Amino acid sequence: MSLENFGSDIYKEGFVTELESETFPVGLNEDIVRRISSLKNEPSWMLDFRLKAFKRWQQMPEPDWSELEYIPVNYQELSYYSSPKIRDKDDIPQEILDTFEKLGVPLHERDALLGIETDKKSDNIIPTVAVDAVFDSVSVATTFKAELEKHGVIFCSISEAVQTHPELVKKYLGTVVPYTDNYFATLNSAVFSDGTFCYIPKGVRCPMELNTYFRINARNTGQFERTLIIAEDDSYVSYLEGCTAPAYDENTLHAAVVELVAHDRAEIKYSTVQNWYPGDENGVGGVYNFVTKRAMCKGKNSKVSWTQVETGSAVTWKYPSCILKGEGSIGEFYSVAVTKGKQQADTGTKMIHLGKNTKSTIISKGISFGNSTNTYRGSVKINPGATNATNYTKCDSLMLQDSRALTLPYIKSNNSTAKVEHEASAGKISEEQMYYLATRGFDEDDAMNLVVNGFCKDVFQKLPLEFAAEANKLLNVTLEGAVG
Amino acid sequence: MIKLKNYSVSDILNNIDFEFEPGKKYVIMGSNGIGKSTLLHSIMGRPDLVTSGDITFMGSDISDLPTDQRARLGLFLAFQNPTSIPGLSNFQMLKQAMKMKGADIGENLRKFKEHSSKLKLPSDWDKRNVNYDASGGEKKKNELIQLQMLSKKVAMLDEPDSGLDVDGIKSLINTLNEWHNDHNTLIVVTHYEKLIEGIAPDTVLVLKKDEIVSGDQTLASTIFSKGFDSV
Repeated sequence: MSLENFGSDIYKEGFVTELESETFPVGLNEDIVRRISSLKNEPSWMLDFRLKAFKRWQQMPEPDWSELEYIPVNYQELSYYSSPKIRDKDDIPQEILDTFEKLGVPLHERDALLGIETDKKSDNIIPTVAVDAVFDSVSVATTFKAELEKHGVIFCSISEAVQTHPELVKKYLGTVVPYTDNYFATLNSAVFSDGTFCYIPKGVRCPMELNTYFRINARNTGQFERTLIIAEDDSYVSYLEGCTAPAYDENTLHAAVVELVAHDRAEIKYSTVQNWYPGDENGVGGVYNFVTKRAMCKGKNSKVSWTQVETGSAVTWKYPSCILKGEGSIGEFYSVAVTKGKQQADTGTKMIHLGKNTKSTIISKGISFGNSTNTYRGSVKINPGATNATNYTKCDSLMLQDSRALTLPYIKSNNSTAKVEHEASAGKISEEQMYYLATRGFDEDDAMNLVVNGFCKDVFQKLPLEFAAEANKLLNVTLEGAVG
Repeated sequence: MIKLKNYSVSDILNNIDFEFEPGKKYVIMGSNGIGKSTLLHSIMGRPDLVTSGDITFMGSDISDLPTDQRARLGLFLAFQNPTSIPGLSNFQMLKQAMKMKGADIGENLRKFKEHSSKLKLPSDWDKRNVNYDASGGEKKKNELIQLQMLSKKVAMLDEPDSGLDVDGIKSLINTLNEWHNDHNTLIVVTHYEKLIEGIAPDTVLVLKKDEIVSGDQTLASTIFSKGFDSV
């Protein structure tokens, strides 16, 4: 099989935006942490949080237990802050607007009124999606804030939330992922730049989908976003995130922290399409995606669903997880992870059952091509108090060429009433299927798409409509030229 | 339509000279393992079958064409054991194969449902996947829907009767006779006398080791009464 068309030419988001920016010199020390905090005009409690984390981080060893092999990050050779020069929020540089337009991210509110003719008056129209656009270390625009405010929904950058809603940030930040949690989360707690803050008040069903788009542009910088979503009793929100980066020869570090809190009967649906630059066909460049994502299902009958489609990044190391604390709370994880070329992924989830009658579902689909390694690592833990907890796990992998797929499920049950089910399968795309599709007129690329899309269907069904189309497109682009 | 000259397939079929003509119906018979399915699959271009000699379709050499291109030129093969693609419904498969767009989708769905109801398939057959809870006979009927929906010039069917119930055989015969016209070619591999009577082929071919015997329908009758060695 040839990999002729395979490589960075397929990664259409690999362009660089030339613009004036303010970038910190490389290196990390307490001063840098203080400078980030002061640039953002943070209150002292926020600075203290950062400094505590930084102290802690300096004493921590870098973890090495994953299945991943990568050139270690030199933390002193990274820049920890890069911001495009923006005079004020209403004057976003044209280059940035163009960048997001090129990426298909609607920053003008009118453009975001999808499917609605623009010449009609838009007063009474409820848009489908609100966007927070993060460019390197700063959020450059957030749309439909006023519309959302009418419903009491707060959707803004986390830097802004620290200023405008300090009591909420202070109450929840670090409660799901403590600053001591792990090496990368601790580093993030010290130097996090920007990210999204969402707050859905009691009884409110968020009237539109909230979307954050992360764009890394600067060379040699780390990106450390922090996202915090709080859903009060009886509320609902669907949040989407997407991300891309230029095709640089150096590796870029992306170490984000995402914390979700769901109160009584609240539901958070969190969908990710991860398309960071994967590096070229020889494994040069690409993003290290070392992310800590965790949800606290705090309230009774609360629910959190993680849905992810992972096609990018040179190295992915993350486990979006749920702590099922509230009685009857539900955690779900639906994942499609595609690796090709020299990509490596060690990803999965943790479901920690603390409350009675808690329920979790894990569906993971791994697809690997080329010389890539695709590892599913999952942990299901039933604590003694989790009477009648149930878990269902299904891990399927599809392998091609010389790729490697590993499935590493860890299950620990400390309650005899718990019910835990695990199914796993691993296989290659069958010649029989490819031939059958050929007899129906499908060429090799289309046949591969059909087989892979069919394989991923259980997960794609869980994505919001628009996102499903995008995920599909992305998957097709990813598969382009992967067989030959 | 399809012309085979000095055509050999792997070590199974040797030096076949035969022409399948437009507007004609053919039945292929032969003892188990003689190479009937192999012949159909080689015409379809299955990648693991090594062929030599000439094969032309409507006058052009297709020996180097891969399966998908042969299919797009107008060849169709209904499998003895249809393969299914997980996650793809019976209608979606056709939707993708026919690259349906916009209004076509609704119209084609209507046709699909018409065909499936004629074949006595469940009313939600369009949404189902042949992978799950489909019997052998239902899978074969699904191949018939595909044949009717995809515009093809040659239909090759590999034991289409196997697994079909009495009514199913009747609708199979009706379907094939309705499909066939003066411009297309029907080729059916079968061991089933009733099906041969129903189709009323112009030519019956009997594959034997190293030779092909051809004749009219009486050739089939002889085989049914006296066995393959009699011809």
